[in-house]
This record gives sequence, structure tokens and C-alpha cells, in this order.
Amino acid sequence: MKDYTKGKTPEMLEPFFPNEIFRHIIVSCFLIIVELIAVILFPLPVKLINKPDHIPWFLLPIYNLDKLIQNKTLFISLLVLCALLFISWPLLVNGKKYYLLSPNKEQVSNHNRVMYIKERPNLWQRPIPFMIVIVVIISVITLCFTTT
Amino acid sequence: MINDTENRNFLRELIESNVTKKLIPKGLGWFGCMGGLSLLAFMMQLGTGIFLMFYFIPSAREALASIQYMSHSVPYGWLIQRIHAVGPHIMIGMVLSHMLRILFKGIYKHPRELHWISGACLLILTLLMYYTGSLLSAHNISDNSTMNLTFLYAIHLAGIPVVMALFMGMHFFMVRKTGICEPL
Repeated sequence: MKDYTKGKTPEMLEPFFPNEIFRHIIVSCFLIIVELIAVILFPLPVKLINKPDHIPWFLLPIYNLDKLIQNKTLFISLLVLCALLFISWPLLVNGKKYYLLSPNKEQVSNHNRVMYIKERPNLWQRPIPFMIVIVVIISVITLCFTTT
Repeated sequence: MINDTENRNFLRELIESNVTKKLIPKGLGWFGCMGGLSLLAFMMQLGTGIFLMFYFIPSAREALASIQYMSHSVPYGWLIQRIHAVGPHIMIGMVLSHMLRILFKGIYKHPRELHWISGACLLILTLLMYYTGSLLSAHNISDNSTMNLTFLYAIHLAGIPVVMALFMGMHFFMVRKTGICEPL
């Protein structure tokens, strides 16, 4: 089990109980209220047909992509490729700095390892991955509004 | 008698080390709860899904009638069915927010690559779960649809949830092992 107290002063820590527990209880109540409001406000599709006439917002890009690409094999291959890239994202962008520090993995000193772990920057501090993510997000949003 | 005292001490230690005396890094914030909310939304789907399982008939001729019976004749059936129908929208919203936070804060990096991999697989499985579920409720009565409906029902009820349970186990184990965050 991870010990959060290692290398940290008491000022950098807070108790799990009650702080974190209460935070979770409050947001859970909020979620239940949102869900009950959604139950009242969201209309259910009236017509029960093979393909749902109401495409949910999260499947819109896939649905529009399906309509754009006529070839089914190409469409499924593209979906599988996107899923694989999405799943393996950390493996694609991770460790570059690590290897830049020392190309030979065996020669990486403990200091460099510690520096790499401590120096974990946010995404916007790394231009290339940030650009890729933004382009993908814009493409997905554009796909949502594409009319075919 | 000794065993009883030992068990009580073990339980007390377990609660103290995991809940009452556990310390976590400051500044996790409200958005840090998105993962927990995704789990709660999943549990709600599971609960309502088990209820629906008792009334839904996976047969091309009776599926529609069973849904209508559940909505109109079973006490609070309409509410449970609608919670199950609306829930995925909220659940996927929570999972996406959780993943975007992890992505932009760079929390998926070493040593937490497996958190991301299991989480991404869970998101894809959730989408598949929604897709199979929506086809179950929107099923058309036709001659060759019986096999498809039974297959979809089995996938929705057992196939995907078993794989999801495995990935969830991996996700939670990794979260326990490497922790939720480091000072960024």
C-alpha cells in the first residue's frame, strides 16, 4: 500500500477521515441529485427501433465517422487503431526525457530517476503531446457536429 | 477468547491504518473525486440492472412487453428503468472528466501507466456496455432476431461486466499500490 507520509512534512498532509470522506459524500449526494433531475427532464426515445433514433452525445463522433467512411472494414480498423493509441498513450509519451537524460538505461543514476519522477510536468508544459491532444479533441468535437 | 481479542485488534488496526489515521496529500480538491463518482454511477447501474434482470425477457416477442410491464405495473419500475437509461450519460460524463483531468495533469506517467491503461479499457467497455444495452431496449421484432437478442443479453449481462470487474480490480489494486497522486 502506498505510504503518502514518506518525505512529506505534516503541513503537506491532511487526514483521510473526515476530510476526504466528507468530500466524497458531498459529491456523491450531488451526483444522485443530478441523476434524479436528469431522470425527470430527459425524454426517453418513443419509437423502439433497431437503431436508436436518439444517438447519445458520446457516440456521435463514432456514428458520424461511420457515415463518413463507407467501407466497414476500414471503419472498424480505424476504431481499433484509435482505441489502441488511446490505451497506449502513456507508453507513447512516457520516458522520452528519461532516455534523453541517459541513452543507456543501465547507466541512469538514482538521482536522475528521482529527478524524472519529481519533474513530472503538466500536459501544457510539453508542447508536442499537448498539441496532439488538442488537435484530437478539436477533431472529435468537429466530428460531433458534422452533418453527412 | 484470545482469538476474539486478536481479531478485534486486527480489525481496529485495519480501520486505523486505512481510514481513521490515514494521511493523504493536501490539495486533492473536488475534481479528484471524479473517479469515485464514476464508481458510484457504475454501482447505481449495477443495482438498477439487477432489478431489471428479474423482469426483462430476452425474447424477440416478449422483450418489448416485459419492458412495458415493468414500467407500468411494477412499483417504482418506471423510476428504476429510467435511472438505468439515464445513468450511462452521467457515468460516461464522469469517466471522461476523470480521464481529462488525469491527461492534463500528467498523472498517467511513470509509475502510473497501468492506471491509465486499465482506465482507458474501462471507458471503452463502458461504451460497449451502453451500446449493447441500447440495442436491447431498442430491439425490433423480426424473424431472425431471437439469436441476436440472446447474444446481446449475454454479452451485456455477463461478458462485458466480467471483463470490467477484472479491469476494475487491476485499477484499484494499482491505485492502492502506487497512490492517487504525487505533488505535481
